Amino acid sequence: MTHVPAPDAFAVFGVPRTLDLDERELEQRYLRLSRECHPDHNRAQDHDDCIAVLQRAAEINDAWNVLRDPWRRARALLEAESPGVLAKNQRLDPEFLGEALELAEEVAAANGATTHELRERLARLLAADYEALAADLRNGDLDAAAKRVHQSHYHQKALADLEAKS
Amino acid sequence: MAYSEKVLDHYQNPRNVGSLDKDAQDVGTGVVGAPECGDVMKLQIKVDDGGKIVDAKFKTYGCGSAIASSSLATEWLKGTTVDAAARIKNTQIVEELSLPPVKIHCSVLAEDAIKAAIDDWKRKNGKLPAGGEEQSS
Repeated sequence: MTHVPAPDAFAVFGVPRTLDLDERELEQRYLRLSRECHPDHNRAQDHDDCIAVLQRAAEINDAWNVLRDPWRRARALLEAESPGVLAKNQRLDPEFLGEALELAEEVAAANGATTHELRERLARLLAADYEALAADLRNGDLDAAAKRVHQSHYHQKALADLEAKS
Repeated sequence: MAYSEKVLDHYQNPRNVGSLDKDAQDVGTGVVGAPECGDVMKLQIKVDDGGKIVDAKFKTYGCGSAIASSSLATEWLKGTTVDAAARIKNTQIVEELSLPPVKIHCSVLAEDAIKAAIDDWKRKNGKLPAGGEEQSS
């Protein structure tokens, strides 16, 4: 296995650990960082140097893929602030899981007439998840935030399943 | 990775799919989930006065192994007692279905669902103080 655990994406980009990063600024930073370590601008002195440059480029790409996606950014934020917090909050409220099961059934049964309404509803649920997540983080309640991230995964999966059908 | 024949059989012909009345006194309901893969499993038992499980139903949203694990669990639950059901271990499901290591969590989910359903039935019938179920952390 050559895979090295990814370092904290926020540290790689040199941005503060916060959920609400300006996406334009983030992209500009990505472009600048990528340029800086592009092999064309980094004539490697020797073999080790060459590996270091490639490693840095890979880190920047990985971090970019994490930070540009709000939900992956949230996961990275939680793991950086409190390692293991996602794993220890996997037990979700049975009532929520019951609703998730019903949503999955609705997605499986969706047809031309209901797909549009269901897609809108799932988008609203995800927007509400994100708002609640931001509030949990503002209140410093990382356990609640971790549960929120897990809950959103069910809504994301339902939406992806719905899109895959049409 | 190939699914075992038993998994495929349960996946294609799941046993005991459906729901029981979750508000009925003699029905215990367990709903559990594995957030990382987005699986949800609902398992219900109907228990007679003698503590025997007379019916079991499940609904699972997830991969073939999760469906097979819960389908198999309902087969084992029907006709057994609550006490015996509480002793069902995920490793028995793994063995019966020949689940590969990456799918062991599906059997764990089924065991959790059985325990949650039993706890719910016990709570309804005064055999457990409210909120006093064991929390495996």
